[in-house]
Amino acid sequence: MALCDAEKTFVLHGVQDNFRIDGRELDDYRPMELETDVVSHAFGSARLRLANTDVLVAVKIELDVPFPESPQNGKIEFFVDCSANATPEFEGRGGEDLAIAISNTLTTAYSSSLAFDSRKLCLLNGKKCWKLYVDILILECGGNLFDAVSIAVKAALWNTRIPFVKNVNIDGNNIDLDVSDDLCLCERLDIENAPVMVTVCKIGDKCIVDPNAAEEHCSMGSVVVAVSGTKISTIYQTGTGSLHPATLTESLQLGFRVAIRLNEALSKVLSRIRPDEEAGFLK
Amino acid sequence: MPVDHKRINGPEDTVPYSLYTKTNKQSLTEQYEEIRKTGQRTDSRAFSEHRKIFVRTGAVSQAKGSAYIELDNTKVIVSVFDPREIPNRPDYSLKGELYCEFKFAPFSCHKRRLHVQDAEEKQHSAIMKRALESTVCLHEFPNFQVDVYATVLENDGSCLSAAITAAGLALAHAGVPMYDIITSVTMGIQRDTFFVDPTVTEQNICLYPRPSESDTEHGIVVLSKLHTHDQVSQFYQFGNVSLDKLNESISILDETCRELVPIVQKYLVKHVVKNLQRNT
Amino acid sequence: MTTKEPCLCLPGQRLCLSDKTYTAGQGTYERQGYIYSQLAGCVDIVDKDNIKVVEVHTTGEQTVIPAQGDIVTAQVSVITQQYAKCFIKCVGETVLRRPFRAVLRREDIRATEKDRVEIYKCVRPGDIILARVLPITEAHTYHLTTAENELGVVIAHSEAGHPMVPISWTDMQCTKTFAKEPRKVAKVVPEHFNAPSETLKP
Repeated sequence: MALCDAEKTFVLHGVQDNFRIDGRELDDYRPMELETDVVSHAFGSARLRLANTDVLVAVKIELDVPFPESPQNGKIEFFVDCSANATPEFEGRGGEDLAIAISNTLTTAYSSSLAFDSRKLCLLNGKKCWKLYVDILILECGGNLFDAVSIAVKAALWNTRIPFVKNVNIDGNNIDLDVSDDLCLCERLDIENAPVMVTVCKIGDKCIVDPNAAEEHCSMGSVVVAVSGTKISTIYQTGTGSLHPATLTESLQLGFRVAIRLNEALSKVLSRIRPDEEAGFLK
Repeated sequence: MPVDHKRINGPEDTVPYSLYTKTNKQSLTEQYEEIRKTGQRTDSRAFSEHRKIFVRTGAVSQAKGSAYIELDNTKVIVSVFDPREIPNRPDYSLKGELYCEFKFAPFSCHKRRLHVQDAEEKQHSAIMKRALESTVCLHEFPNFQVDVYATVLENDGSCLSAAITAAGLALAHAGVPMYDIITSVTMGIQRDTFFVDPTVTEQNICLYPRPSESDTEHGIVVLSKLHTHDQVSQFYQFGNVSLDKLNESISILDETCRELVPIVQKYLVKHVVKNLQRNT
Repeated sequence: MTTKEPCLCLPGQRLCLSDKTYTAGQGTYERQGYIYSQLAGCVDIVDKDNIKVVEVHTTGEQTVIPAQGDIVTAQVSVITQQYAKCFIKCVGETVLRRPFRAVLRREDIRATEKDRVEIYKCVRPGDIILARVLPITEAHTYHLTTAENELGVVIAHSEAGHPMVPISWTDMQCTKTFAKEPRKVAKVVPEHFNAPSETLKP
């Protein structure tokens, strides 16, 4: 996206007066649309549309052997695909850095067992565990990818059904899993504390949340705050600019406040989906 | 660094023997309880005390600029090379670019590191780039790229911040135009204990929540500061920390970063004086 | 070096107020009315039409990058019908640590009869040329010109692989086989060529 100086000044002045180019206030989000269970081959999936940003997340589950350092933990991995579909800037290897940044931030945000307890994914200590592959596809890029991705991931994990293992037989070195073939018998993940990320973008002297592409263009730097429950699980700074320590604490505060609000809204939406789903045709 | 495909990396599924000895998570919890009880860290430092620093410039004679830093057992070497054209870039960019590579030497940690950059090293490279980008005057060398390579020779905690501090020194040594002097400090948090400049054991203590009834906070925080302009160029945290604790850690780290500045300044002045004497 | 004690400074050090008498020069930057240093080195104040320009110079070796108007020494690597690809090895008298890619286009080889230039009659791969850097356009590489009498091929080898000596503006001759080959020969003037060779003598 190319903006001329006059356009940038316009955005900046708008932010100064707490009236952004699309009419929002500084801490307002754009409308969101969330759909779950959209990919038939996945164990769980979600699609999030945040104004022009469109993200599709699918979770696949496979069996794996736990890491020898952490025999009691299962595995979770995040892959972000910034395809050129989303914006021509991602063409070739253009989106690679951003993709790595997003997946690394997700990995660190989910790394604490207080945010996501991977011990529940372990089937047999040191021998067998589930591995969750969380694949994130950016379909359209309208700014604020970190937030959109984190919400979509949380929803997809909420939607994930892990096959129910009836019992595990050990016969010498052979491990036999008896997986239930009843589709309705499945386990859900506990995503109560799964982190939600909020990008706080500094424009001029003010901090805003949920920047659109134009606002992202005007900003020198932003702070991604990942909040899990009432604690902060990851902070990652992006962009080239630097911040005064006071601005940093201020933006953390803003990010934290908005993330709590966002998390509440998300839980409310997710709890509303649940009853409909239980009324599937098999039950 | 080019990947060496011919090197034999050993069997894929080897594990370090230390996993079978009695030094895993259980004992880390015990160590933490011990530290809590005695109120003293294993190397008898105060909780807010940074380790003694040894730095020197010009460690790599072939490089344009280089620096070597020691925080007790943490040893990092950083080299900076002349600007070169940005590879594989068709269009002209008004700003220069910074390329950072952070690498653990294979023998630097308890577990053997591979020669290819893993996810953690890539993440550290990105953070390093982030920290240095706001201190280097990128507009001074349009369409060029400055390479910064950091290699950890021995990891005893806080390598990332050591690498950032050393990289700032190496850049100044290389004569790359910079806005400011940069220093960086790591902090480990476990419940109500703040470990400034943690050793690798202290870092491991802070990596996972320790069983506790009420308050279960833990995490690692890395902060990089530009000295004169009082700006935070990079802030990175992971774990599970409340906002209040985080704010507290920012002010402690801010203070510690400031304490490191005279050391960096001293070595830069030393370097300038040495050059002056050589020229006259 | 001046007799007075040199004034040392470090990156980010505030040097002075930026006002009508003092302005920021090389190695410094201005922020909020003050001049700060960009480098670790010595402060130098240069008088220029009643304005004092504050400059900072590093004490170590300078980072040299070819800039517009510089005379550079380059080696030709590949020639085509339209252009010759070169590597810049030296800027002025400073040897670069790593070569920079550059292009010598057909129309920039000589000043006259530009449309009748044939590249292979002017430069060949392996030749060492003196050239001037043209203004940098949006293109990625440096463009060079040899359209001056003093610029062109200075060192070349014949097809047999022996050194050649210039015999006219357009020809060089092999020292062994005496075969003539066409080149755009440079008129080497002392300030470019002799000065360094004199300093080499003990």
